[in-house]
Amino acid sequence: MGQKTPQIYSVELNGAKDMKQTDKGDDKDKYRGLWSTCLELRKNHHKEHVTKEIDLDDHKLSNKELENKYHTNIVTGLSSTQAAELLARDGPNALSPPQETPEIIKFLKQMVGGFSILLWVGAILCWIAYGIQFSNDKSSSLDNVYLGTVLALVVILTGIFAYYQEAKSTNIMASFSKMIPQQALVIRDSEKKIIPAEQLVVGDIVEIKGGDQIPADIRLLFAQGCKVDNSSLTGESEPQPRSCEFTHDNPLETKNIGFYSTTCLEGTATGMVINTGDRTIIGHIASLASGVGNEKTPIATEIEHFVHIVAGVAISIGVLFFIIAVSMKYRVLDSIIFLIGIIVANVPEGLLATVTVTLSLTAKRMAKKNCLVKNLEAVETLGSTSIICSDKTGTLTQNRMTVAHLWFDNQIFMADTSEDHFKQTFDQSSGTWASLSKIITLCNRAEFRPGQERVPIMKRVVVGDASETALLKFSEVVLGDVMEIRKRNHKVAEIPFNSTNKFQLSIHKTDDPTDKRFLMVMKGAPEKILEKCSTIMVNGQEQPLDQSTAEAFYTAYMELGGLGERVLGFCHLYLSADEFPETYSFDVDAMNFPMSNLCFVGLLSMIDPPRSTVPDAITKCRSAGIKVIMVTGDHPITAKAIAKSVGIISANSETVEDIAKRLNIAVEQVNKQDAKAVVVTGMELKDMSEDQLDEVLTSYPEIVFARTSPQQKLIIVEGCQRQDAVVAVTGDGVNDSPALKKADIGIAMGIAGSDAAKNAADMVLLDDNFASIVTGVEEGRLIFDNLKKTIAYTLTKNIAELCPFLIYIIVGVPLPLGTITILFIDLGTDIVPSIALAYEKAESDIMNRKPRHKKKDRLVNKPLAVYSYLHIGLMQSLGAFLVYFTVYAQEGFRPSTLINLRVEWEKDFVNNLEDSYGQEWTRYQRKYLEWTGYTAFFIGIMIQQIADLIIRKTRKNSIFQQGLFRNKVIWVGIASQIIIALILSYGLGSITALNFTMLRPQYWFVAVPHAFLIWVYDEVRKLFIRLYPGSWWDKNMYY
Amino acid sequence: MFTLTMWVMLQTVSDHTPKYQDRLATPGLMIRPKTENLDVVVNVSDAESWGQHVQKLNKFLEPYNDSVQAQKNDVCRPGRYYEQPDNGVLNYPKRACQFNRTQLGDCSGLGDPTHYGYSTGQPCVFIKMNRVINFYAGANQSMNVTCVGKREEDAENLGSFVMFPAHGNIDLMYFPYYGKKFHVNYTQPLVAVKFLNVTPNVEVNVECRINAVNIATDDERDKFAGRVAFKLRINKT
Repeated sequence: MGQKTPQIYSVELNGAKDMKQTDKGDDKDKYRGLWSTCLELRKNHHKEHVTKEIDLDDHKLSNKELENKYHTNIVTGLSSTQAAELLARDGPNALSPPQETPEIIKFLKQMVGGFSILLWVGAILCWIAYGIQFSNDKSSSLDNVYLGTVLALVVILTGIFAYYQEAKSTNIMASFSKMIPQQALVIRDSEKKIIPAEQLVVGDIVEIKGGDQIPADIRLLFAQGCKVDNSSLTGESEPQPRSCEFTHDNPLETKNIGFYSTTCLEGTATGMVINTGDRTIIGHIASLASGVGNEKTPIATEIEHFVHIVAGVAISIGVLFFIIAVSMKYRVLDSIIFLIGIIVANVPEGLLATVTVTLSLTAKRMAKKNCLVKNLEAVETLGSTSIICSDKTGTLTQNRMTVAHLWFDNQIFMADTSEDHFKQTFDQSSGTWASLSKIITLCNRAEFRPGQERVPIMKRVVVGDASETALLKFSEVVLGDVMEIRKRNHKVAEIPFNSTNKFQLSIHKTDDPTDKRFLMVMKGAPEKILEKCSTIMVNGQEQPLDQSTAEAFYTAYMELGGLGERVLGFCHLYLSADEFPETYSFDVDAMNFPMSNLCFVGLLSMIDPPRSTVPDAITKCRSAGIKVIMVTGDHPITAKAIAKSVGIISANSETVEDIAKRLNIAVEQVNKQDAKAVVVTGMELKDMSEDQLDEVLTSYPEIVFARTSPQQKLIIVEGCQRQDAVVAVTGDGVNDSPALKKADIGIAMGIAGSDAAKNAADMVLLDDNFASIVTGVEEGRLIFDNLKKTIAYTLTKNIAELCPFLIYIIVGVPLPLGTITILFIDLGTDIVPSIALAYEKAESDIMNRKPRHKKKDRLVNKPLAVYSYLHIGLMQSLGAFLVYFTVYAQEGFRPSTLINLRVEWEKDFVNNLEDSYGQEWTRYQRKYLEWTGYTAFFIGIMIQQIADLIIRKTRKNSIFQQGLFRNKVIWVGIASQIIIALILSYGLGSITALNFTMLRPQYWFVAVPHAFLIWVYDEVRKLFIRLYPGSWWDKNMYY
Repeated sequence: MFTLTMWVMLQTVSDHTPKYQDRLATPGLMIRPKTENLDVVVNVSDAESWGQHVQKLNKFLEPYNDSVQAQKNDVCRPGRYYEQPDNGVLNYPKRACQFNRTQLGDCSGLGDPTHYGYSTGQPCVFIKMNRVINFYAGANQSMNVTCVGKREEDAENLGSFVMFPAHGNIDLMYFPYYGKKFHVNYTQPLVAVKFLNVTPNVEVNVECRINAVNIATDDERDKFAGRVAFKLRINKT
């Protein structure tokens, strides 16, 4: 682990040397991976060019050379004028935001997407038709102009609406990603100044201290105890020490370079700015990530598929009837108008807006559950996810070291690792525990930041590294005020931890006033500590350390190490008061105190424990048919241990290695079929071909990738996508952003995530909690089901809107339903009900079924189209025709009279058309009757759409199982339908342009029997589906 | 289901009177000859151009022949409605009143060498009122049809005209109408207008309306409610 993990704590007893080497190699590979990602992404550039671009040699230069290169002075810094010139040349030191599509393009896209083209064609045909009419007859009516304008308005309004929705969700992100302006301490004109980090230029000398974010890529000139967190860049979670020595050819590995946006954890440093803004390493990666093409979301594909179906139906019926109309000797102009009518009837104008609203409603609901959705369509993507590639640190785990086990008195005790951490139940009566707790408390440099007395212990901010923090919090919870204990046991000397010693030691006066002895406490790598001991404390009594106790120690150590935990050994020694009187001056350099024959007290192991909600969430994923793959940069043993504890590797499944160990045979002899789980390391992955990776991905249900590089994450995602899986990827670092982009849905961590990751992701988990993903999946699946219902509901009435035209053309009855009236159904009465379906609860446990197959389980499938169009749609048409015929018959035109009446009916000069009773009608009287017919047909459809809405609540269950009143919004929808229809019929009855008339109240009830028929019919359909699952009926009637 | 509900619905519809007549409160007027866009164009020298009008009129007026009327219809008392109430028993078929072709005078076309005046450029145009069941036109007061040029210049170009029956009167005895099923031989009353000296070679907009107490003629939207507008053009060389 070398420079990577400066701590002594290793998890393996043996092979520390090997590890060091493999790790080094691994690291190199990791970085190479990063670069090759860059290379791959910049395919268009020449390799040399790229290499040159990213080639930093500043780390090799001496301070003098650097000064010359950047025309600066290490002591006095740049002059203000120089800085201003450079700032003008290089631009501000900030990452340029990702290339945004210009707003106008986004807007225009909304205007031409989906059905809009079809409606534009309709509108233009209208205007052309009017143009022809006008050239023939100057006094021709403006109806077609109105219609064209209305169609254009519909397109523009729905476009604006969709655009607004889109913009709103983007804005949430924009406000979210806004960073707090950063300050930098810079030396200019020999003075220390604080300036906004944006104004930094190349050659500036900056000073950094613990807690700061590094404001640009800097070459360190001076460093003291400086450690940085490079995790956002490289994925390494361990703090990296920085110094001013040149240690490695690779700029990413050398210690004397600090990277923009990484954080300085402790220590101080001075450095010279060598790159700013987009030219920084992080800037490169961030801009390259945006080069990875964004895959079309599954729901977008589905909607496109649906639009194709509907547009196909519209165009083919339109053209077919155009030809029929022309061959029936209709005028071409009339035929064009028929064509428009057919298009308008077929296109569900309101549907896409409804889908947008539905998605944004779900997005809102998810935001409440801490899933912030950036891209509306991603709402559904999560629902169709079949593989989740999850990060370990922070997502599955709490991202903080926590004491998990203790070993003393030859016994392993378990500590509580849950988030609140309050009930420590192990036996605390033993004398050994008293000693051990003292060592834990005293041999620790970590401290709480002052002023946090009211904060729960686990949430307090601590100054110190992860392990020490864990120990501090642990002892605070168990023993109470640690600071007070430390005060009572005054510290007289201390050797802080360093990587050569691999131990930490301190000497204290005891709090027992009668005991004048000094207490020496020590912790460190267990084997190192044991070496220094000759006795061991058991039940509070010191005993000589014999072979058997040493063996017990090793067994415990192995066991804890095998759990992937970081193990520490603790020992102490009371220095005899004779040799070390109270006035004795300890010299830590000379080590004038004993370092052997100490008393071993116990072991303590720590782990970054899984979040308590995760195992449950993983189980849910599993039952929902979602494969959870862990992809981590961490050590395989730790990864496997965490995977086991959260259930990614389930309790009874074994890896090939486990089987080998259990059966005591060589790994090669194990039948690979027996192993359900596998742990693949980055090293192994590197040597795998695509096919081999595919095989791993398909043949093991439980997979852990450990020690992987960011680029390998991308390979894994691609591998999963080759299996036709919808892949969700979680990540937080900049290095994850290509994989986040590549994934079908990228999920970034809201707390730990870097801005680059959030930018690349489609969704942000505000609480970094894996369990939130599961709720997201649930919402996503629900919305898919509900969208099906919405679409089925909307498509149904298309037939009822289309049939009037077809009957009109073929049979020649007066037009039953006007084009504008159709728009009032599509954009008026039907809107709220179709949105209301989005509030429908799931029919069955949607988390117990497999994720949908992205190519087989379509949003709009054949049964849905057939059932909506041909079953319910036709029934609805008949019901609406009934209302229409009723109105005409009761006004004097019996159905038989209506046939082939069209030509005479529409002649403007025929003002004495005879009805079935011999009465004569003027043109306007007929027109008014026609509008009454429109209104009647409209009401007929509306009444039956209420039945349609109710049957669409479920696809399989009976309405009574689902509960008629559970979804209140449905009733709001029904009320809205009726109210809008009432307003149209009675409120706007006098506005002729809208073609509505006052309808006698009894006509509202004419279609009610048909509405009931629809309901009963659908109940029967559902009953048969439930009775005979898998039958022909089920296959063809279940949508 | 559809058949059933349709059947039920048709049961509610009576054979002799429509259930509702709310749209027919104001009967419309119409002219004969019925021409495309109501343009009456007469090329005096071109017998073919008016020949078709004449043929149509001949056919239209056939049922009004005095012989036919005398055979089928009653002579009624003028000036009052000819009511034939059912009084609980279906009174069927109902009788209609005579409207004799000869009442149309110069426009009767009987023994007329000028063919309703079309060959001489003095055409007859017949005005009729739309049939509406159970409509008591005129509300017991006499009513008549009048014609005017639509604008001032039209009035000038229109010249003088005579009407048959005199003053364009329509008698109350032709009302009410009981529907084609019951009122089998009903012949609706006509008013003929003979235009005597229309300025030739110009288009004249003529508007005729009925003056009756219970027939509004000022409906903004329905241009044919109680009135009729047509164009008259006599082409002479």
